[in-house]
Amino acid sequence: MNDAEIEAIVLRAIHNINLAREPHAQIEESPRAAIFGPDSPLDSLGLVSLLIDVEEAMNDRGFDIMLSDARAMSQTLSPFRSVPALVAHIQSVLSAT
Amino acid sequence: MTANRHVLITGVSRGIGAHLVRHYLAQHDTVVGCARGAAPLQHERYTHVQADVTNEGAVTKLCRDIRSRLGRLDVLINNAGIAGMNPVALTPMASARDIVTTNLLGTFLMTHAAIRLLRRSNAGRIVNFTTVAVPLRLDGEAIYASSKSAVETFTRIVAREVAGFGITCNAVGPSPIKTRLTAGVPAAKMERLISQQAIARWAEPDDVTNVIDFFLRPASAMVTGQIVYLGGAG
Repeated sequence: MNDAEIEAIVLRAIHNINLAREPHAQIEESPRAAIFGPDSPLDSLGLVSLLIDVEEAMNDRGFDIMLSDARAMSQTLSPFRSVPALVAHIQSVLSAT
Repeated sequence: MTANRHVLITGVSRGIGAHLVRHYLAQHDTVVGCARGAAPLQHERYTHVQADVTNEGAVTKLCRDIRSRLGRLDVLINNAGIAGMNPVALTPMASARDIVTTNLLGTFLMTHAAIRLLRRSNAGRIVNFTTVAVPLRLDGEAIYASSKSAVETFTRIVAREVAGFGITCNAVGPSPIKTRLTAGVPAAKMERLISQQAIARWAEPDDVTNVIDFFLRPASAMVTGQIVYLGGAG
């Protein structure tokens, strides 16, 4: 699976999450968007929800992954802080399995 | 969520776990049981998975299979656990590690994986197991009771983390029940323990299912982060 395909899954998951969020709490839907941290309105519950949606989308395509990481809540090191960081993290998880 | 729930129970080979399997099958639920040992029974609505709750790969596979076959989970009962009665000065490190790993990390691993499936329920429920050894501070049970204290704190915090998904998380703390586990303890020690309870008698398996049934009721959607001990031990 290449970066563009993973990015499309992440952006689709963000889009789906936004459908249930208030207009002022929308997450930016772009390839450079922040997902978690000071530049994003997503709280920890929202992050968990988004990541489970991404896991399930990956699972539906035959890739069984879990997006757990000890750095999840770090503002500078979290692999979930932005779309590019998450895409890179998913690639590293896929490489390790 | 009333009948035909999808219920996952760990530690089902015997004792309370096997009783819970029979209880929820009798309520027309679909039950998946997990244990290192053999299935407690055969039933058209029962699936048995031989797995160790401390094995991350096995737990992940179990939940992936449930997702493929059932689509969602309504109830997770983290019953699997091991006890140990030994003074601290005589407890080997390996025994202490086994107790903490199974009781705390096993509960964590199952919860970690099952949240993904419980989120698909309209009334997800997590029930953990603690023990009256926590409030009674029983000598000889320092490691066992400490591991269950950790399960209680885990329960209270998970309750907050999953509330947004409509999932509740509670724990039941059984008082002594006549099982294979308690059969190995001297009778006088058990009687001393039971005498410390407000209701000084042996508990029955149905006393445990009664508390769990309360947690599982749709009307209990506001009940979360709670620890209920049998016998008034708390």
